[in-house]
Amino acid sequence: MSTAVVNKATKIIQIRRLYLFLFVVIAWVSLATIFRGRATLALPVSENSPFNDRVGAVAAAIRAGRFENPAFIYFFNPLREIIDSAVQLVRTLIAIPVSGSIIPVVGWFGVIGIVAFIVYASSNFKFTFLAVALLLGTGVLGMWTSTMDTIAMTLTAVIFSLGIGLPLGIWAGLSDRVLTFLRPFLDLAQIVPTLVYLAPLALFFLIGAASATIATMIYSIPIVIRITALGIRGLNNSPVEASISMGSTKRQTLAKVQLPMAKQTIILGVNQTVMAALSFVVIAALIGAPGLGGPIINALTVRNVGDGFVAGLAVVLVAIMLDRSTSAAVKTKKSFVPPSADEIKRRRLNVAAMGGFAVLSIYLSRNFLWAAVWPENINTSKIVSNATNTFVDYATTTLYFLTIGFRELITIAILNPLETLLAQSPWFLTVAAIAIIALIIGGRGVAILSVILLLAIVYTGLWRDTMLTLTQVIVATLLTMIIGITVGVWIGRSQKADTAIRPFLDAGQTLPAFVYLIPMLGLFGPTRFTAIATGIVYSIPVVTKLVADGIKNVPKSMVEAAIANGSTSWQVITKVQLPASKRSLLLAANQGLIFVLAVVVIGGFVGAGGLGYLVLLGSSKPEMQGKGLSAGLAILLLGIVIDRIAQTGARRK
Amino acid sequence: MKIKLNSRNAIASLFIALGLVLSACSGAGVDEGASTDTSGSTTEETATEAVAAECGEWNIAMHAWVGYTAGAQVLTNVGEELGCTINQVKLDEAGVTYDAIEAGSIDVIVEDWGGGRWQEWADRGQLVEVGENGNVGLIGMFVPAWMAEEYPDITDAANLNKYAELFETSESGGKGAWYEGPPGYTTIGEKMIAAGDLNFQVISTGSEAALVELFTQAVENKTAALGYFYEPHNLFGALDLVRINWPENDWSAPEEADGSTDYPKSPLIKIASKNLIDSGDPFATVFQNWTWTNADQNQIAADIEAGTDPAVAAQKWIDANRATVDGWLG
Repeated sequence: MSTAVVNKATKIIQIRRLYLFLFVVIAWVSLATIFRGRATLALPVSENSPFNDRVGAVAAAIRAGRFENPAFIYFFNPLREIIDSAVQLVRTLIAIPVSGSIIPVVGWFGVIGIVAFIVYASSNFKFTFLAVALLLGTGVLGMWTSTMDTIAMTLTAVIFSLGIGLPLGIWAGLSDRVLTFLRPFLDLAQIVPTLVYLAPLALFFLIGAASATIATMIYSIPIVIRITALGIRGLNNSPVEASISMGSTKRQTLAKVQLPMAKQTIILGVNQTVMAALSFVVIAALIGAPGLGGPIINALTVRNVGDGFVAGLAVVLVAIMLDRSTSAAVKTKKSFVPPSADEIKRRRLNVAAMGGFAVLSIYLSRNFLWAAVWPENINTSKIVSNATNTFVDYATTTLYFLTIGFRELITIAILNPLETLLAQSPWFLTVAAIAIIALIIGGRGVAILSVILLLAIVYTGLWRDTMLTLTQVIVATLLTMIIGITVGVWIGRSQKADTAIRPFLDAGQTLPAFVYLIPMLGLFGPTRFTAIATGIVYSIPVVTKLVADGIKNVPKSMVEAAIANGSTSWQVITKVQLPASKRSLLLAANQGLIFVLAVVVIGGFVGAGGLGYLVLLGSSKPEMQGKGLSAGLAILLLGIVIDRIAQTGARRK
Repeated sequence: MKIKLNSRNAIASLFIALGLVLSACSGAGVDEGASTDTSGSTTEETATEAVAAECGEWNIAMHAWVGYTAGAQVLTNVGEELGCTINQVKLDEAGVTYDAIEAGSIDVIVEDWGGGRWQEWADRGQLVEVGENGNVGLIGMFVPAWMAEEYPDITDAANLNKYAELFETSESGGKGAWYEGPPGYTTIGEKMIAAGDLNFQVISTGSEAALVELFTQAVENKTAALGYFYEPHNLFGALDLVRINWPENDWSAPEEADGSTDYPKSPLIKIASKNLIDSGDPFATVFQNWTWTNADQNQIAADIEAGTDPAVAAQKWIDANRATVDGWLG
């Protein structure tokens, strides 16, 4: 009985909150109409605010001190050189020629042999075949050397990330104090769009493989720490207690009990780290990372979709290979039946044979040209690139009027009114409105935090640009949620649809957003909607998956009961499945917002304006560097506001 | 003998074996091993290696536009003929590249459009301004040719307001859309609009691709577009664009511009690292002597755009202009 009363009470509160929300929006809109165009804090693109000037001066001072300042001489420069030589070392192993030679230490055939051996030794023949096939695929695409560069970069970044992240993660897993200290950084790292890291890093580490590796590390270390700490904390307590009661030292308990038990989760962490590092490939190319990112960025500047797609496809192949190989290491050891002595013997023989093959292939690749350099005539890049260009040209010209119509509809019906509301109102009105909405959704703490952060954005002088970006983020997230919930419900309810669609979601998650930025440009022109569409495509996989998982986790009995009561499918979805998976929906919305923000800012490349454009402006015009860095800061602050409001909102309901 | 071969041992033994293989054939890399291969490419390789002693290893910054690629590729081919090792490094222009010169990872910028924006780096000494490369850059605002035919007086900037509403889009807030150049390029659109009291709204494009897309759609679909562009650029071969005229230019640094006059003709500048200039290397001589014309550059750029490999397109030009090239060798 009492739960029913509580339910009713929360329902009343929720309805009251909804009315309050509507009231605030109406008041906001009417005040905005009255005061439109006043105190918008618009700053012309080519001008700096006082804050931008100060940041610019600091940046110039940092640049000037590069060869004199002790911090550079004793810290940044040596660090850059160490990481740079580590990257170069790995690159000469598999990617670039050793000096005085025309091939790397190990040629392509040798790399195949090594990969085959490692994957086989850690999993089984099926995964080995898959990994080799995918790797050969990158060669067939004409991308062997770039792929090796990318793998070398990823590998170096992952090794450094694990070296730093694993110990920290274990420590955070054992000590509450360390976790409390690290948590804000871990949270922050998940919010900050990758584009934001680059300019400050280039300032300290210049551009090149070293700063690209450091950028990748900053992106992936938090993931290692988070998952490792989770793995250790999530352990069943009794074996740990047993171990302590039997007189083991802390170190013994860690090494003999906790780490082995958390092994699966830690390997999952390695997997996630590899994928994170790989997803950084394209962005890292903006600051000089060698590898597959280069052709993709280049394709953007010379508007060649095909070339970018070939490289993007190679990224996807590498991603699938690394993902399946690392997760295979976890999956294949689950059998409960201990293998027979015969099976063990056969397995050992096979592993030994595979090792022999690896050694042979390395030998061959160092002594015969065919095994050293990927054969020139096996190269389909031109064919794939031309076919892609033809297809995209055809699609953009035929669909143009359709896509333009859709773009205009969204722009005039949603985008422009929302932008007017956010960016054309006096700034204090918008701050107040966002704060009150934060108060209603998330409570007092979030409201106060939002006001402080929004005032900080005002202080940077980039208020109006921030509101332009926020508008795009909100519109893109709305559309993403509509599509994501529709598809998510569908594949959550039908296993067939799931099997058919999930591979596309997986591939969509690994395909770098830059690859489809140009086709989007062809479809929608240099507009804000191009950025929005790219953001939608990028965030749909994660949103759809979360929704689908939520729908699947709704207890079968609830659904069956509803059907037995004569509910239609529509009723089952709207009255049972969606309300029951509310948590997943809110989580999906939160993730959607963060994913969209990450990509909407790269819309600055294609005419969407806003903060992303200012970041680009800052990195290419020295006198605008202060403004670019400030824009990065504003993106960061905006990200925290969005994330906090969405998160606390999800927790409260 | 019983060796336990689980995966960990297996990987360890592989590395041992790997070490053995590598040490066994250290010094006997493919160069030697491949001499059994009769492809001939290796002999060529050793030939260049032999000359390489006289000429060093240099890194050319590769900026994204095709015209730039043309110049960089010609220098690369000529440098390699001399036996230098020339690396092409793709990276963003301006600050990024100047930083790279200071860091020692770039030696040559083939053409820089920004009048003097490198001064801060030049003052610190590692970056050296080498002089003009002979190309003359001309920035301007353009419309598709069909608009100039339909509205002949549109090419005079004074008449732009009359046509402002033609350029209105859902992006431009009730004004005409003024598509500004990518970041990094010299742009004074906001000043021009203010000075001429033009009823236009600046839209920041962010990349050359966005501008090319804008003009391609404007020409193909006969839509209106007013956008920033620049010569030399191979796009002018493919699309018919017409320049909007402002009163004659009277400024060279953008901060001096009041927005009432046109963009300047800017001679494009060669930039090098102090290392290269001080080295007395043959490639330094070539780079210092090298000059050519917009027509030269466009010829190669057009070939590249048509799908020819840049190295091949550049070699074609070199072979046809051997006397000019020999003049650079000093």
